Amino acid sequence: MNIYIQDINSDYNGFNSLINLEHQLSELTFEEIYIDMSAVNWFDANMAAPFGAILYKTSRNSNSITICNTTSGIEKILSKNNFLSYYGHSRKFDTYRTTIEYRRFETKDSLDFVNYIKMYLVGKGLPDMSIGLRRKFELSLYEIFENAVVHSNTELGIYSCGQYFPNINRLDFTITDLGIGFRRNIKERIGLNISSDQAIEWAISEIHTTKTGSIPGGNGLKLLKEFISLNGGCVQIVSDRGYWQMKYGNIISKSFLLPFPGSIINLEFNTADSKKYQLSSEISPNEIF
Amino acid sequence: MKQQLKISVYEIVGSNICMASDDGEKVYKQIASALRSGVKVILSFRNVDTLITAFLNAAIGQLYSEFPESYIRENLEVSDMDQDDLALLKRVVETAKAYFKNPGRFNRARKEALEEDDE
Repeated sequence: MNIYIQDINSDYNGFNSLINLEHQLSELTFEEIYIDMSAVNWFDANMAAPFGAILYKTSRNSNSITICNTTSGIEKILSKNNFLSYYGHSRKFDTYRTTIEYRRFETKDSLDFVNYIKMYLVGKGLPDMSIGLRRKFELSLYEIFENAVVHSNTELGIYSCGQYFPNINRLDFTITDLGIGFRRNIKERIGLNISSDQAIEWAISEIHTTKTGSIPGGNGLKLLKEFISLNGGCVQIVSDRGYWQMKYGNIISKSFLLPFPGSIINLEFNTADSKKYQLSSEISPNEIF
Repeated sequence: MKQQLKISVYEIVGSNICMASDDGEKVYKQIASALRSGVKVILSFRNVDTLITAFLNAAIGQLYSEFPESYIRENLEVSDMDQDDLALLKRVVETAKAYFKNPGRFNRARKEALEEDDE
């Protein structure tokens, strides 16, 4: 069976195309599937994370997958980040070291994820960010990863991939899980029945958490939102049918016709950000509690 | 019996990376056990270089589910943390205090806001 895909950008339409692809693939079993990329002229490399998640889920449904007819440009970008190696293609050397390779993690792999991020941020050609910015960037990624570990209940892993665009000082990084999504998490944990786009807004707003036991929560995504707002970057969140985006401080919230079976968080960092990210006043350890 | 116990986060977690909620839970158990016995705790973050809120919520935030604020203030100290980590911890503590003062408030407030939006 041949499945044809189109250009994939890190935007609403790109996510929508991947969701449609997932729905085409989700009912298949014991099929030999050829993903034909002959019509793809642009594929944002970081979007390999949700693309890989969808293909992994399809493989787990006892299908075999071949990616074929890639144009030379697409072959290059998706080989440099190691994505195509999972589908039998050869890995290409990343001469300018602008990729953070595509990886799949289990929920127990928090330390592996940290080592993976650190490996790519130190001496790998990725932007020479200030120490304060790099630390904020790293912690944002760790918060998202751990958020997926704690909240998604994924049994099919967590997927990540990044790409640095030096000419525009942007670093895109995407983390995807195949878990229950924000809406179901909120419904199951606290019994609040809201739409998918409302669920994303709920999770990222200031006042609550789905934690109901003795461990409080609810800071990770808010810190991320604050940081990206200061940094002048962009956050996009896809979960179930919901889509939420904050770009240069402007927020868009809307829905897809079909649901994504999990959550995707895409971050676009402004790597030329020269803010110091220093605290306005000194905090004493005696003032914490 | 000791009146004061120094707990090394690095020793309990076994790593300079404090990220997982499960690791936070291990630290919480040590602190809570000491506080229940009336022993003052000094929690050292020496050699820890990566700390996120999921860990701190489990390790320290949940203390507020069991112990009064004033008791924690008098019997728990942190040491060897840099300013950024202190700021993160302060935020976690403030959220925990608010949450355990009235856990329902967090969710009711938003539910009401959403219902208003739908009207």
